[in-house]
Amino acid sequence: MRRHDREIMRFLMRMTHDREDALDLFQETFLRAYRAYPSLDSEAGLRPWLFKIAANLCRNRARDRTRHSRVIAPAADAEVLDAVSSHHLNHANHCAPDGAMDLRRAIAGLPGKQGQAFVMRKIVGLEYAEIGAALGCSEESARAGVYQALRKLKELR
Amino acid sequence: MSSERDIDQLLLELDREADDDPGLDAILTAGRRRFDKALARERRPPARVGVIDSPMGRLFIADGPRGILAIHFMDGKGPEPLAMLRGKFDIIEDQAAADRIGEEIRRFVAGDRAALKHQIDLSLVESDFKRRALTRLCKVPIGSVVTYQGLASAIGAPDGQRAIGNAMGSNPVPIYVPCHRVIKSDLSIGNYGGGVERKLKLLRAEGFAVGKDMRVPARAVMGHQRTHIYCRPQCSAAQRADMGRCYIFADSERARGAGLRACKLCHPA
Repeated sequence: MRRHDREIMRFLMRMTHDREDALDLFQETFLRAYRAYPSLDSEAGLRPWLFKIAANLCRNRARDRTRHSRVIAPAADAEVLDAVSSHHLNHANHCAPDGAMDLRRAIAGLPGKQGQAFVMRKIVGLEYAEIGAALGCSEESARAGVYQALRKLKELR
Repeated sequence: MSSERDIDQLLLELDREADDDPGLDAILTAGRRRFDKALARERRPPARVGVIDSPMGRLFIADGPRGILAIHFMDGKGPEPLAMLRGKFDIIEDQAAADRIGEEIRRFVAGDRAALKHQIDLSLVESDFKRRALTRLCKVPIGSVVTYQGLASAIGAPDGQRAIGNAMGSNPVPIYVPCHRVIKSDLSIGNYGGGVERKLKLLRAEGFAVGKDMRVPARAVMGHQRTHIYCRPQCSAAQRADMGRCYIFADSERARGAGLRACKLCHPA
């Protein structure tokens, strides 16, 4: 399991844009994996399986957050995202050109499944078959998700 | 923002980002540390369990890293050991571990008094009182018995004989923790979680033969641990003695074997 913790963390950072959230989900992902590990059929399925756990946790978190913010401040989401990403990326900003910053924000704005598939493929480097297994869809569907995401990013630019 | 940039350029940018994700190493280190802590809380010690056939009947046995956690008479009363183990231990089936303990029990019942070599672990005992009672009980030597009341006095609860009875009833490691060596104050044999037959069998294996009347043998003597004197149970000195310090030996010979001398008032045989 340790072999994959780096890419899981990279995925979570990209999905949450918040250090504390990423750390929480990281711990939760591996704890769940540890508990359920005996029920995993084959070692080959480990990587997508880990990503499946991580992706589900991200989705739960996004869902809980939406419910929460609906009660408090319906319009705050975008601002929060801005604030959070600029906070987290402050360090990167010093050395990265503007384009990279926009790109990050654009990726953060992608809808759930597309965003997850895109990050898994383009940033972590999973195979489409693995993404399909992780997101509970077919390989083609995963490929389509990444394509849609790429198209959206391109339109934004 | 330049809208003309094509998709290859975009991908290139992403590739570069993937290579040097700022701060990833730092956060990964923090994440690993946090996970290790959580895992340490999560991890439980192993309990190797198995079922054996022994002269004492079918026994469920659980062996932990610090010693035997549970021995359960499959046909007897007493708490269900698996339910007690679950949540505190990782339960692993290991017949070989159970067989090793079974072999010790078999030799013990056959009369080898030094056979019980395994350590015991009283983690499954729920209360401090019970743990104290069981720990104290382990000091009662082979070939002698104590009364419930005597054991209660010995751990500083002179009126706690009923509580001692409960503690013996919930003893998670019978045979090794010798709850069969506790009898009633009227010197009748009392009861046993695994059935009186088993109690008699164990006592007999230890050289403490109990007659048909279910009482300690007529030749039994009471030995005082401090004065190192043994008396007939009827002796006036024995009547006055603090039961918490008295063991009952099957006969004078055993009391002498334990380093005690005969009382000069009652002249036990």
